[in-house]
Amino acid sequence: MKLTSKRLTPYILITPYLLHVAVFVLFPVAFSIVLTFHSWNIISPMKYVGLDNYAHLLKDRLFWQSLWNTVRFLLVHIPLQIVVALALAEFLNGPIRGRAFFRASFFLPVIVSGVVVTILWQQLLGFNAGMINKVLTGMSIPKVPWLESPDVAMYAIALMATWKNVGLYIILFLVGLQTVPMQYYEAADLEGATRWQKFRYVTLPMINPTIFMVVVLSTIGGFSLFIEPYIMTEGGPLNSTLSAVMYIYRQAFQYYHMGYSATLGFFFALLILAVVAVQKKYVEE
Amino acid sequence: MATITLSHIAKAYGSEARVIKDVSLTVNDREFVVFVGPSGCGKSTLLRMIAGLEAITDGDLLLNGDRINDHPPKDRDIAMVFQNYALYPHMTVYENMSFGLKLRHVSKAGIKERVTQAARILEIENLLDRKPKDMSGGQRQRVAIGRAIVREPKVFLFDEPLSNLDAKLRGQTRLELQKLHRSLQATIIYVTHDQVEAMTLGDRICVLRGGDVMQFDTPVTLYNEPANLFVAGFIGSPPMNFLPGKLMGTGNSVQFESESGTVCLELSAHPHRDVYAGNRGRAVVLGIRAEHITDRPGTFSHSQSTTVDALEHLGNEIFAYTMLEGVRFVARLPADSVMTINNTATLYWQADKCHIFDAQTERRL
Repeated sequence: MKLTSKRLTPYILITPYLLHVAVFVLFPVAFSIVLTFHSWNIISPMKYVGLDNYAHLLKDRLFWQSLWNTVRFLLVHIPLQIVVALALAEFLNGPIRGRAFFRASFFLPVIVSGVVVTILWQQLLGFNAGMINKVLTGMSIPKVPWLESPDVAMYAIALMATWKNVGLYIILFLVGLQTVPMQYYEAADLEGATRWQKFRYVTLPMINPTIFMVVVLSTIGGFSLFIEPYIMTEGGPLNSTLSAVMYIYRQAFQYYHMGYSATLGFFFALLILAVVAVQKKYVEE
Repeated sequence: MATITLSHIAKAYGSEARVIKDVSLTVNDREFVVFVGPSGCGKSTLLRMIAGLEAITDGDLLLNGDRINDHPPKDRDIAMVFQNYALYPHMTVYENMSFGLKLRHVSKAGIKERVTQAARILEIENLLDRKPKDMSGGQRQRVAIGRAIVREPKVFLFDEPLSNLDAKLRGQTRLELQKLHRSLQATIIYVTHDQVEAMTLGDRICVLRGGDVMQFDTPVTLYNEPANLFVAGFIGSPPMNFLPGKLMGTGNSVQFESESGTVCLELSAHPHRDVYAGNRGRAVVLGIRAEHITDRPGTFSHSQSTTVDALEHLGNEIFAYTMLEGVRFVARLPADSVMTINNTATLYWQADKCHIFDAQTERRL
């Protein structure tokens, strides 16, 4: 079959994209899967180790702790993010003065660099000089070791991460809320529904797809927790804020265990996929 | 018992002109009243003001004599069927119908009894487990009515509930609504832009235009004695024919003469001849319905030579279209009429059935 220029054009047009995907997505994924069966420190040649990396993963207590730390973070971060974002979206969806100002204000932290925000919060959460503890002291409340206590540090980071990202989820919820036809609320008004009942029986079920999207995005975003503990606590105290991604990073770029790091990454990706699949099934039901 | 009184009701959005100007009317207990008018006339706004979904700018809204302007919708004991039904997509038919009762803390047994009874009346018992997306437009419409019925409210409001149905189903549902009104013995206010719906359903019809009430009366009165040019043109299908001209004559004689003199209609036998005689010389508009023009003389007093330029055969009748002094005229002829296009023909007008409107005020003389 003769290839005419008309037939070739689409292939030429998608070639740059295919090249990009091949070089920056397919190759790294394939290479990291290969790596999981090897030991490699970048300098020496790769050495085939079979399933040793996987066997090591199962016995690596620090990895499981980092995973548990991440889960602890998610357990606070996701519900907090949904509740705060939904409450603020509901507030901003109403007829309030200065709506545009508030919408912009809540979104501002999203566009500020994560590093800048983290450093700012590190200052705010400082035990002695931090603004938050100063306010607490002023109110005769004992100071809280936000980043110094293994019991508190991860929750303080979850609080900060929520503040940083909530603007994005407010926008998503606002879009969801605005797609609910006004007539449903009017019908509920006539039926005698209170504001809370309208929220419970009309808004929540109607924005279910948005809630699912926010849960999935928060889950994926939360699983990739890195900048905040890396800058604020370096994973401490006592590895209590060591996130899974941070541990994978350490294995790769501090200890040069590229093969093991790839194994952790691969396992972690499968875990995220499984969690999102469960969430999807739950929401569909 | 539910009598609704609107007293000098007005509505404005911000500083904009009033969309409802000064509406005063009373809807009697168990009456079926239809608000009809073209798009943007304010009929839905008026209905929503009665429901409590729109604030009232001026005037008083009374339910059984009590002022309810400031009562929230839930305290008005009014149910509404929305144009798009507003059925909650995540609830089954049973849940949709029982929602209001559940919020009012009616017992489960009570809810079941009322929902089942309403479902039986509307013949939707087999749909109770379905969700709205699994139903046709007609079925959804019944569920929306069912949701209103189960609450046993004092007043039912319908906001163009048939507009999403096809013509056949609309006709069927009209009949069912009439039956439903008789069985519920409830006060109903119904909004539509379709004058056929208005004529067939309403005990009385309120014709609205630009936020003003043009006429509020029974369908027969609206048809036979339209208060003004707007009502005359809006009610009736095909619409009334209009021809501008003047009232002329001397002594006992009074005639309508069209502007170019093509039509000279003797009105001496008209029931309102005395009124017309008192307005000789006045610029007027003559109105005559299609069924008062025919192709055979009979008792029709006025003959008019004309050229028919279009014919519509509807099976049981024929609409014949002509032009008179640049104005389109339509005659409703019997199905056996032998009329051909582009040939001169004589049409006979029933002069005593025509209407005369003041050209300036547009009111009926």
